[in-house]
Amino acid sequence: MTARVPYAGNPLDAFVERMTRDLARRVSRRSFLGNVGALLFTTGVPLLPVARGAAPTAARPEAAADPGDPQTCEYWRHCAIDGFLCACCGGSIQSCPPGTEASAITWVGTCHNPADGHDYIVSYNDCCGKSQCGRCLCNRNEGDKPLYMPFKSNDYNWCAGSKVGIAYHCSTARVVGVAK
Amino acid sequence: MSRGRRAWASAALALSACLCGPRGWAQIPAEPEGVVEQLPARPAPHWVWVNDMAFFAFPDGKAFLVDGDSGRMLGMLSTGYSFTSVLIPRTGAVIYAPEIYFSRGTRGTRSDVVTIYDATRLEPVGEIEIPPKRASLMPMPGAQALTDDDRFLLIYNFTPSQSVTVVDTHSRKFVGEIETAGCALVYPTGPRSFFSICGDGALLETTLTDAGTLARRERTAELIDVLKDPLSEKGVRRGDTWLFASFEGVLHPLRATGAGVEAQPTWPLFTPQELAQHWRTGGLQHLAVHGASGRLFAVVHQGGPGTHKDPGEQVWVYDLASHKRMQTITTRNKIGSIQVSQDSQPLLFGCSIDSNRLDIYDATSGKYLRTVESLGLTPTVLVLP
Repeated sequence: MTARVPYAGNPLDAFVERMTRDLARRVSRRSFLGNVGALLFTTGVPLLPVARGAAPTAARPEAAADPGDPQTCEYWRHCAIDGFLCACCGGSIQSCPPGTEASAITWVGTCHNPADGHDYIVSYNDCCGKSQCGRCLCNRNEGDKPLYMPFKSNDYNWCAGSKVGIAYHCSTARVVGVAK
Repeated sequence: MSRGRRAWASAALALSACLCGPRGWAQIPAEPEGVVEQLPARPAPHWVWVNDMAFFAFPDGKAFLVDGDSGRMLGMLSTGYSFTSVLIPRTGAVIYAPEIYFSRGTRGTRSDVVTIYDATRLEPVGEIEIPPKRASLMPMPGAQALTDDDRFLLIYNFTPSQSVTVVDTHSRKFVGEIETAGCALVYPTGPRSFFSICGDGALLETTLTDAGTLARRERTAELIDVLKDPLSEKGVRRGDTWLFASFEGVLHPLRATGAGVEAQPTWPLFTPQELAQHWRTGGLQHLAVHGASGRLFAVVHQGGPGTHKDPGEQVWVYDLASHKRMQTITTRNKIGSIQVSQDSQPLLFGCSIDSNRLDIYDATSGKYLRTVESLGLTPTVLVLP
C-alpha cells in the first residue's frame, strides 16, 4: 500500500504565482526586468538558470573556446535543443531574430564543450511572436527529461512564458554558467 | 460504288462511330452537383485518426481519418494552432478537438476552445470556450483525456503554472480548473478520477465530484526514481492498469484500485545483453497494447542514453502475462508512433513525425500490408475512433 498525504498544492508556487501575476498587472515588462536586474545585481542574489532568459546578451567568445558552427545541429551547445536554430533565422545562439520576443523562462541542458573540457549549463530560450522560422530544425535529447520535469524538458513550447503568447519562432542556446 | 454497297458502307461507318467514337454508348451521364460525402454512423474497427501538429505551419493543425483496410483517406478536421489530438467518446457520435486560435493568425487575442464535430459529417456542431491555458507541447498521450464514462474532458494546462481544465461534455460547458502544481498530464483511472505525474516521482491523484469539481486530491509517495531512471510519460492503458516504460527499458505497471493507484512489480523489456547492445524504447507514442490478447507493442532502436525520442525500425511484442517477448516486427520505415486496433484481427499502425506516411501491418503476423502517403506535415499521435 502506498503512503498518501492530502494535497494542498505547493504553497511556494502559489505564492510566487500570485506575486508574479499581481506584479504583471501593475508593472511593464521592461521596467520590471530593469528593476529586478538592478536589485539582484546589487544584492548578489544567485539566479536560477531557468530565469535567465532576459539577461543582456554578450559577444560570442572566441571561436577556439567555443568551437563549431551554431547553424548546425551538431554544435556542442545544442545537446538538448528541440526546435529551429535562431542562428539560421536572423538571430544567433544568444539572441532572438528581429521582431520576436525572448521567453523569460525555459528549459536548460548540460552540454560538454570539447574545447575546454567543461560542462556548461545551457539555457534554450525560445523566441516568440511569429510563426515558425522553419530553418535548421534540430532535436537532441542529452539529459532531456519527461514533461513532468518541466525545466529539463524540451517538449514544452516555452513561449508559454512570453508576453506575446505561444507563437513559437526559434530557439537560442545561451551559456549561463559552468555546471559544477 | 453501287447504291446498295454505299448503303452498307454508311451503315458500317455509323455503327463504328457508335461503338468506338467519342460519342459512343460509353458516354458518362451528367452527375449531380454539390455532393458531399458522409461517413457511416459507426466507425469501422480498422479506422485510425492520424493527428498532425503541423510543426512547420503551427496554426494549421489537422486530423486525418484513414481506413487501414483500403488505405483510403476518409476525411479531415482542421484543428488550429499547436494541435495535439482528437478525443473520441465511446458512443462515437461526436469528436472532441481542443483547439487554439489567434485573432491575427499568430498574434492577437488567443482563443482556446473544445470544438465538437459530428462524427459522420466531420463538421463543427458545437464549441466550448475554455481558459487560454492549454499546454503547447509535443503531442503525446496524457496531454488530454476523457473520464471513463466520457462525461468530463480533462485538458492539461501549462502557463507555466500547471493545472487541469475540466469540461462537462453533457452540458457542453467549462466546469473549472484544478491546480496540479508540480505535477503534469492526465491519466484517467475511472469515471471521476485521474492521476498526474509529479516532478519528484510521486503521483497526484485527483477525484472529481459528479459536477466535475474537485472532490479530493492525494499525493502518493515517490514511486519513480526520476533522477536514476525516469519513466517516459507516454503510457498506455489496459483495463485498470497504466503501463509506462522507463528510459532504461523497465516496464512499470500502475494499477488503479479503490484505494488509489498502486505500483505493481516492474519487469524488464530488455535482457542485460540487449541493454549492453544499447536497445531502448523510443518515439513519441512508443507503446501500444492490444487489450483482448494482452500483447504489448513497443517501438525499439539501438541508441543508448539520450535517445528516448528516437524512432525505431523494429516493434517488439510482449505477452503481458508472462513478460516474455513473443515476436519481433521489422518495420518498413522508421516509426515513432504506433497504435493497434482492438478487434480480433488487429492492425498495427505506425508513423513518424519525420515523414508524413502511415505504415500498416497485420498486428498478429507482423506482415506489412500497405502505406498511406502524404498525411499532413508532421504526424504525431494515432487515435482509434
